[in-house]
Amino acid sequence: MNQRHLAGGLADGVHDSQNTFRALLDAMARPGQARRLGPALPGVALGGAMARLLLSLADDETAVWWQHDGAGLAPWLRFHTGAPLADQPQAAAFAVVTDLSQMPCLADFAQGSPASPEQSTTLMLELPAFEGGVPQAWRGPGIENVTVVNLAGLSDEFWRQCQVNQVGFPQGVDMVLTCGEWAIGLPRSTQVQPALER
Amino acid sequence: MPSNLPIDLDICMTTELPVQKQASRPAWLAVLARASQEDLAACLPTLGPLPEVHTIRPPEVGMMMVRGRIGGTGNPFNLGEASVVRCAVRVGEGPLGVSCALGRDKPRAKLAALFDALLQDPQQHDHLQQTLIEPLAQAQRQQRHSRQQQAADSRVEFFTLVRGES
Repeated sequence: MNQRHLAGGLADGVHDSQNTFRALLDAMARPGQARRLGPALPGVALGGAMARLLLSLADDETAVWWQHDGAGLAPWLRFHTGAPLADQPQAAAFAVVTDLSQMPCLADFAQGSPASPEQSTTLMLELPAFEGGVPQAWRGPGIENVTVVNLAGLSDEFWRQCQVNQVGFPQGVDMVLTCGEWAIGLPRSTQVQPALER
Repeated sequence: MPSNLPIDLDICMTTELPVQKQASRPAWLAVLARASQEDLAACLPTLGPLPEVHTIRPPEVGMMMVRGRIGGTGNPFNLGEASVVRCAVRVGEGPLGVSCALGRDKPRAKLAALFDALLQDPQQHDHLQQTLIEPLAQAQRQQRHSRQQQAADSRVEFFTLVRGES
């Protein structure tokens, strides 16, 4: 823990977090449509969307699991929100994934129970880009017919795990995919299939 | 003293100074927490030019449960909630200064956090300790003493004579 690296939080805590929350609601309600959450925070080595999501959503009752915390950001989040650290993905309310190649299986995170499906982990994945990957067709609530996304950095294995995740509905994890200032929602209700080549 | 709790917590969370160096930090934080804004502002011009002050946590007002102790058993009970204001700043690239005080005076909390940051700076520490903290601590001691004296003057001693067979 190094206090010299403790960066500031949201400039206007109330309104910035409300704007972030509103944008996240829209992103989760319309899977596949990117929403802009805001610019990066000075001194925080995370994309603007990821940093703002963490500051807006985490509090002292939500344990956060960090895949890699090379920049020492766990104390920063703890200082601003009081969020405890989760040492296991299973125990996390939020999981921060920044290295997609080393990502744990989606089933390793908390899935919730049939009586309390809301107790599952919400994953936040930082992607290199929202374009240039293998096209995937998303269907489900919030999507009219079908939407095709080609997110970069996600493996075929990840998309297979997403299918399994969706089959377990109402249990399963929700995901927010971030890239810089932007975020895309991928809730557990969304059906994912490889898009047919044209 | 209710405002002790968050200060100690913040110190635990944010400090990395060796233990012997921060031994007096709770003491000066307690003095700063009770100081008025005028007293703190009066000391600012004596400092000379400062590096840029980064606000890590803007002054924010919240509620805190004040606990008291009653009776010989010393069991704590909840007395009520009090407004507290807290703040964290960093001067230049120096250490983090925190403050937590009763009330809702945000400028005061920011000044107190600024002085906590400066007091951790070895170059400023001795000057500030002599010109700010010690006079304030002295004044606060006197104020506390005079109030205790006032209360002691109104004290009534009750005696019960031994009754019955002896």
